[in-house]
Amino acid sequence: MSALLFKGAGFTYPGAPSPALRDCVLHADAGSITWLTGALGAGTSTALLLAAGLAPRHTGGERTGTVLTLGVDPALPSSGAALGGRVALVLPSPATQLSGIAETVFQEVAFAPANLGWPRARITARVSDALTALAISHLANREPGTLSGGEMQRAVIASMLVLEPDLWLLDEPTSALDTAGRALVHALLRREAVRGAAVVVASEDTDGLHQVADRLVVFADGCPVLDGPPQEVLRGERVWEAGAASTAIAGLARAAGNAAPRPLTVDEGVARWAR
Amino acid sequence: MGTMKPLLMEGVHFAFGNASVLEGVSLEMDAGAGVALLGANGAGKTTLTRLAMALLHPDQGRVITAGEPTAGRSPEDLASAVGYLFQHPEAQLFARTVRAEVGFGPERLGWATDRIGEAVDGVLLELGLSTLADHHPYDLPQPTRRLVAFAAALVARPQLLVLDEPTAGLDRAARARVADVVLARRASGTAVLAVTHDLGFAAAVLDRAIVLAGRCIAQQLPLTELLGDHPDFPAPPLLELARRLGLEGVRPAAAVLAPLLTSHPKTGTLEA
Repeated sequence: MSALLFKGAGFTYPGAPSPALRDCVLHADAGSITWLTGALGAGTSTALLLAAGLAPRHTGGERTGTVLTLGVDPALPSSGAALGGRVALVLPSPATQLSGIAETVFQEVAFAPANLGWPRARITARVSDALTALAISHLANREPGTLSGGEMQRAVIASMLVLEPDLWLLDEPTSALDTAGRALVHALLRREAVRGAAVVVASEDTDGLHQVADRLVVFADGCPVLDGPPQEVLRGERVWEAGAASTAIAGLARAAGNAAPRPLTVDEGVARWAR
Repeated sequence: MGTMKPLLMEGVHFAFGNASVLEGVSLEMDAGAGVALLGANGAGKTTLTRLAMALLHPDQGRVITAGEPTAGRSPEDLASAVGYLFQHPEAQLFARTVRAEVGFGPERLGWATDRIGEAVDGVLLELGLSTLADHHPYDLPQPTRRLVAFAAALVARPQLLVLDEPTAGLDRAARARVADVVLARRASGTAVLAVTHDLGFAAAVLDRAIVLAGRCIAQQLPLTELLGDHPDFPAPPLLELARRLGLEGVRPAAAVLAPLLTSHPKTGTLEA
């Protein structure tokens, strides 16, 4: 069973003239990093909201077709009991995801486990592990609202990691992170996949993710149009036709008039162009 | 006006309560300068940009923005001189249409209606937002909202543009537009101070690096000297490629590099 399954899924935001997602067929499997990308408005963020059940529950609007998240329709009122604590959603603006009532980063990360009624010793151990994994142990006693953008992004990811979710849904999770932070989150996503979680990440960070993700799904106009190993998809022309981006080196090769398959990395670029 | 520095900081100290963030920061920016403000998460980059536009005020030292000390002034007082793009700009959007949103600043500055219309249309065209002029900002995808906020920062043609993660979450087309606009504004004399973790963007459109670490400016040097010379700031792919191909000193942007490669004989299939 796929951890995430869309069959003919569609979604229209309230009042929008056209659907944000249409007839979308998509799956994401446990143990694997599935990377979604596409031009602005292609539908990757909407797909994550649909998978998390926030669309249409919080956004309003109309969903069509089938969405199964860990085997459950996340739009059903009863899905909370089945999915609570098992699905981690990381949104692009971390400030919107702080609880607003925790006095310290430690409490913020402990918030969900405490709500789920975990024993104290387990909470303490897991929170410490999560803070260490995101390299923010030194911020444990800081007030969450005083964190920088990148620190907040790490804290939000830690607050999800602590639950050991079965499904990760991440929208631009490294947008505010420095180089070290991006590498750390990419390594963390790999560890989570190895642990058995399904990881779905929507990102425009092609140069960061092309050697991390197992599978790349390119969206255009509200549905997936390309699906395959990043190393194959990104060498081709169709990713550009879809309005998405390949790596900087592939973009350079394209600008220079080189036909596909194109180089993706600096080493490959040097091999092609060095005299 | 001609010799006025868009931004000058002298011995700036700043703390949030007991937590010291900046200690003795001094810097200056000339017209047309392009500065990447770099540093680890939590180094004080956003705080420094907020000091530049009078959202915060130094505990010690002076901040002089567009020739005037920020002491005793608020961001509104600087609105004609500084354009600011927040890290999460959805918080700065409030009007009912994109056109009204972008026109709000000039309106507050007392511009004539015709002049506002012309400036708004111009900047929307520049950023590829013309067809969205009558949309509600909140109906737009988040990255597009960032572009709307960027348009609002640009519209009054400020002397100083302060951009906090300007390319975060943007797609290829939008990133290219932002890069083109930054280069064009710099060429016309606007100084640009950008907090960014997108080192490829920085290398393509900016030329100086200021690195914050340990609450002060740890390094201030040409950006290309820093990139690749420090583990936290690896050379972005196009810069590294240019170096390895012996194209030192060429601006690492696809549009600049590509013509140098097309003439090359070895453009066949990729070597295994």
